[in-house]
Amino acid sequence: MNENEVLAARERLAARQAELLNALLANGPAPAGFDEQRLAVERRALLSKRRGIVRMLGPAVADELGERFRPLFDAYAVEHPRRAGSRAREDAASFAEWCRAAGELSAKRKARWKFWQSN
Amino acid sequence: MAGIEDLGVGIGWRPEIDLTVERLPGVDFVEVVAENLHIGHLPESVALLLERGVPVLPHAVSLSLGGADEVDLHRVEHLGAVAEAVGAPMVSDHVCFVRAGGLDSGHLMPVPRTRDALDVLVANVKLAQANLPVPLALENVAALLEWPDGELSEGQFLAELVERTDCWLLVDVANLYANARNIGTDPERFLDEIPLERLAYVHVAGGEQHGDIYHDTHAHAVLPEVLEVLDELCSRVSPPGVLLERDDNYPSDAEIEAELAAIRAVVDKHRG
Amino acid sequence: MVTPTTSRATVLSPEEIGFLTAGPGRAAETALARLLDAGVVRVARDGRVSPVHQSGGGVTVVETRMLGRLTKPVQFGQVVQASANSLEMRVLQQGLRERKLIRNPRPRMRLWWIFLVIGSFLGLAALTEPTLLVGTAALFGASWWSFGARPVTRAGRAALEGVTGDDRVLTVALHGFRGRVGGRNVGDLFELPQSVVNTVPRKNRKRTDNDGAGYGSCGSGCGSSSCGSSGCSSGSSSCGGGGCGGGGGGD
Repeated sequence: MNENEVLAARERLAARQAELLNALLANGPAPAGFDEQRLAVERRALLSKRRGIVRMLGPAVADELGERFRPLFDAYAVEHPRRAGSRAREDAASFAEWCRAAGELSAKRKARWKFWQSN
Repeated sequence: MAGIEDLGVGIGWRPEIDLTVERLPGVDFVEVVAENLHIGHLPESVALLLERGVPVLPHAVSLSLGGADEVDLHRVEHLGAVAEAVGAPMVSDHVCFVRAGGLDSGHLMPVPRTRDALDVLVANVKLAQANLPVPLALENVAALLEWPDGELSEGQFLAELVERTDCWLLVDVANLYANARNIGTDPERFLDEIPLERLAYVHVAGGEQHGDIYHDTHAHAVLPEVLEVLDELCSRVSPPGVLLERDDNYPSDAEIEAELAAIRAVVDKHRG
Repeated sequence: MVTPTTSRATVLSPEEIGFLTAGPGRAAETALARLLDAGVVRVARDGRVSPVHQSGGGVTVVETRMLGRLTKPVQFGQVVQASANSLEMRVLQQGLRERKLIRNPRPRMRLWWIFLVIGSFLGLAALTEPTLLVGTAALFGASWWSFGARPVTRAGRAALEGVTGDDRVLTVALHGFRGRVGGRNVGDLFELPQSVVNTVPRKNRKRTDNDGAGYGSCGSGCGSSSCGSSGCSSGSSSCGGGGCGGGGGGD
């Protein structure tokens, strides 16, 4: 099959995949033909996985936020879907920064130490 | 490559359970997540396993071969470098996409089973293969949702992928079970349709039922139903290898050992 | 499982044996040894300790607290250190004090012998001037005081007599993870790499009850690094940190 056909296929596929991720990660409109309930299930699963990774990478932040961690993270996540090429660690750092800016987290601290000793 | 060597029963090597993997009996091979390894800085445990002669197979999660963008050759290069560092006979990734429209889903998303998607996937796989030092195996993923207007069944889709790229297949029986539960894939039909002679090895993993959805968590015990799918597969072909994946909530050494033994029992039953 | 050891009439738990042998750090090591022995926690090569999923809890309050802190993997040495400094450890210490097995230690002053020397001179002088005997007694008293006191009392030492490392938990109580018994590293009994064992602050190991100052305790100064070389790597993958598993039940 020739290059141009693949290019055209790439473009069509790109639009569909982008539309789906936008719906799942950034609260975009649901793409046509998908089951709304399943979109919601997938959205929750992706959010839960991302939240778990950020919690694992930044236990100090999660600990300080306590019960606020989840609602705050979920709000942050929709506002800041992960960009292609970004790292999970950057995501965790950016969430902490976002919380600080919102006044939800005290000023900078030594992450792991504090987590351990504040217990 | 005529066929993959006999690998036996293995487990996904993870840093949290490295000492467990080292001391468990009956670990014939391991898999490492390629993205988590740094070339020139192999974990001590992986080096030790290699020294013992345990095959180490790199498994990638970020090539996004089913994505609309051309495959990122830096990622392919890294995978190839890991393969060379551990002397692997084969590498693998998934039939999925993880990035689109500038976003990263953080997970393995299913591709639409359309001609367009297949053409793009084939082009990406061929490009990856041309830049890899060893054969590439591709794995079926677990989907929570179904793309509309699929033109092919999952088995047909993979069969055509193999035909056009000569890649190998890594069949995850837990994903197959998940898709049966969640989107109505028929595992038997899937196994009928894929070219079993191109089977590299098999993945087994645990998960949990949550309402009417089965979540392939890799953090729970392997369900007997998943072993039944493995049993079904083994009744058709003797898989060159079967590997247990566990990524979180690691249970005791004894429990992991028991899961490996249960897998081996299914495989051995059909070997006679 | 380790049963409390009887020595004469005093029943000591492994943690208490560890405490009497080398202080709170050793007691913490003993608690961690018990959790490892019971398969409640596991250790990785990078030294991180993590709980084994659904494997039960701790038996003692020190163990329970130790486990409660392991919601995320923590470096081996830090687990010991935090436990040594914990409130639960002070409760254990208080219990030993109430049983008169330990007391408040007094550090030995460097010039304790000065009092003895002056007192002796005064004693000689008292041969001619008996009223000086009061001063002699006072100086001898000061000498005794400044000589210091070991934290483990005579009763405490008696309770430890006859305690042997019958199992690997007691071996840790008596010798610490960093110790060596019969030409073997104690850490080997738990199949621990020496690099992991070495994260335990050394202070805990030194100073048995024979060297005057008594058990060492671990202050905030004897920390190990908070993050091993590979311990904090996040993985750059899109599925970072883990493999390909799903997000779970979405909650």
